[in-house]
Amino acid sequence: MDLRDRLRRAALSRPGVMLVALPGATPVRLELEAELRRRGWPRSESPAAADLLVVAGERDPIGEDSWLDGIWEGVPKPAVRLAVRHPGDAAAALDTGHRLLREDAGTRHDLAPAVPPSGGESAAGRNGRPGGGRGERTDDGAGGHHDDGGDQDDRGGHNDHGGHSDGQGDPDGQGGGQESGHGDSGGGDGDGDGGHGGGHSSHETHEMSGPAGLPMAERAEDRDGLTLDRLHLPLGPALPDWPAGLILRLVLQGDVVQRAGTETLPVRRRKDPFWDEPWLRAARGETVPRAEAARRRCAAHLDSLGRFLAVAGWDDPAARARRLRDGALSAEPGDRLREDVVSLARRVARSRALRLLTAGLGPLPAAEARAAGVSGPAHTAGGDAYDRLLVWLDELGRAAGQFGDERPLARDDRTGPRGTLDGAAPPSRGLLDVLPGLLSGAEFAGARIVVASLDPDLDELTAADRREAAGV
Amino acid sequence: MSETAPLWAAAVLPFALLALAAVTAGCGAAVSAAAERGPAGSARELTSRAAAPLREALRLLVQQPRTTTAADGALRRAGVALLPTAAVLAGAVLPLGFRSVTDPGVGIVWFNAMEVLAWAAVWLTGWGPNSALSLTGGYRFLAQGLAYELPHMLAITTAALGAESLRVGEVVARQEGLWFALWMPAAFAVYLLSAVAMAFWGPFGHPLGRDAAGGAAAELGGPARLVLLGGRWTLLVVAAGFAVPLFLGGGHGPLLPGWLWTLLKTAAVLAVLLAVRRALPAVRMERYTEFAWTVLVPLTLLQALAVAVVVLNR
Repeated sequence: MDLRDRLRRAALSRPGVMLVALPGATPVRLELEAELRRRGWPRSESPAAADLLVVAGERDPIGEDSWLDGIWEGVPKPAVRLAVRHPGDAAAALDTGHRLLREDAGTRHDLAPAVPPSGGESAAGRNGRPGGGRGERTDDGAGGHHDDGGDQDDRGGHNDHGGHSDGQGDPDGQGGGQESGHGDSGGGDGDGDGGHGGGHSSHETHEMSGPAGLPMAERAEDRDGLTLDRLHLPLGPALPDWPAGLILRLVLQGDVVQRAGTETLPVRRRKDPFWDEPWLRAARGETVPRAEAARRRCAAHLDSLGRFLAVAGWDDPAARARRLRDGALSAEPGDRLREDVVSLARRVARSRALRLLTAGLGPLPAAEARAAGVSGPAHTAGGDAYDRLLVWLDELGRAAGQFGDERPLARDDRTGPRGTLDGAAPPSRGLLDVLPGLLSGAEFAGARIVVASLDPDLDELTAADRREAAGV
Repeated sequence: MSETAPLWAAAVLPFALLALAAVTAGCGAAVSAAAERGPAGSARELTSRAAAPLREALRLLVQQPRTTTAADGALRRAGVALLPTAAVLAGAVLPLGFRSVTDPGVGIVWFNAMEVLAWAAVWLTGWGPNSALSLTGGYRFLAQGLAYELPHMLAITTAALGAESLRVGEVVARQEGLWFALWMPAAFAVYLLSAVAMAFWGPFGHPLGRDAAGGAAAELGGPARLVLLGGRWTLLVVAAGFAVPLFLGGGHGPLLPGWLWTLLKTAAVLAVLLAVRRALPAVRMERYTEFAWTVLVPLTLLQALAVAVVVLNR
């Protein structure tokens, strides 16, 4: 027993982490990613191989984001779920999760339950988190409630009984996970399953009429006029390298996208969109050094670049882009960073294989882009996914050249990383609007590259309303 | 020249292959970590990075198995178990120096047949969990198979043609003077490509792609995941190792004993493959298939023709 315990502790010395970012929580996501990299904890692409489910951002107080519970149900034991609301809490929250994992591998610890149980503050106190009192940080996050009783355990209990032996006992969790590509907006199949989750046995699996109560593919004509199976597949909001909060409702035939529709999760955020911050602040009359804006633009593009390359399956430069992104956001000295950014940009631009593999995907002529309200790199490129990548690389090089520029940013400079910030709608609105049109007819992998090449930032979506409210 | 190894070698083979796979995965992890976290500061740091796959294996071992709604558990288990089995069975005809566990008259065909079992393995693993992304991954490997297998078979046929035998030992014996890689470079290059493709790894790793949240392995956790990923590294080692008897002269070489030459050459091939992974993005089959069929197939056919002419005039 002692040996087993020790083995388990050794095995969990670096737990596998699935990171799910909610819209509006970009700084938290960045801090978590940097922290995970420092610790060398492996990242998990799906709940199946994760020990720790980390939610970046604030959960909906009325529990609208039940897709998160679907993912949580998919995490096998040992499992801890926690939410991180503030960038500064990342390290402490990970420590807490790690401690729980190592102490008690037999229980599923949910530190970020759907609806915070009453008496939450005292629970936080019991866990010995000193700063867990009232105030700005109304806490359900980092220090969280180590819930060792009550309804949360019931939830875990489902998994205990039916979960790992045959999986049929799980209510909405597995349904949600498998139907949706890790997460569903809540109203869909995942939830519908919940009602009769425990009811079906494995014997029903092969019956033609909806195995286990799941909907089957229907049929429709494909692009060649043949009647083929058609599958409705929601993508997001918790895929790896996916814009936080985006849900894509795809109609697939084989792996060809017939139709696509976008949905977005509501953005809960009190501040400016992270990537647009310097320009919005300058517009309000604050003095913002150009170097800061350049660093932010650089980091924004490196973030997008990292996603694009990861989706394109080129891990090495993707990892480099992320490391440099965090360097650009921290106080890393400019000279060394500039060199690294320029050499990364050159390496990516020189790759013929990348060009051959991504050229022609999601063409967006400049005129069409303008008509849809797209400004920024996607408009400048006026071409396919690869052209948009080249514009990023180009702007990266230019932004890196301004790392030492301490002059203040002009008040009327509103060219944020994704486009003009004084338009009627935020730049990402336009990107989301053109997305469905670019996706129809694309293969699944191509569709993911198109999404990554536009990389809409959902944090921006409420910016327009906010500006009106503030009278800017 | 070649002979069959003693019986205990058959028992040792899986463990030897696993150890090689672990070492290769460790080197791969060290390379990836350098990109992710910058160059290692100390030897200790480097060791810790290289040990990441072992830590990961231990982590997966203590994880509870899980499954999905309406999953076909039997299919999934069959698929997962089939992969390392296929790798080890293919490894049975790999000579270490000049001795292999078995050296049948149709060794090359045997290798090819075992390697194709991986198609079934990945597809079953993708199909089993009843999950769309996982199924996508499974089908991706079938498409990949259609693209790489034709040039691959022509490439290994060319080596057999050069030796006028399908026996692996005979192919090695024929390279005492001149390595096949030197006078059939196109076949060798195509073989290296397909070695990566058959192990669905690196640039050909799309079936387990990140864009599909892990593809065929998306719903795999715990020991099942370990078996599949371990099987994949083993298959990669075997595929790379088979390039040595086919094209790089097997155990032939000056001074050093044959088994050491085999190991060194295998390590060199694996190093090249790791460099290829670092240099290339994921190859998507909707783009690659055209290249494979219009460029690689004619190329390997011409190579086979050239070799056939040489052999006839011997």
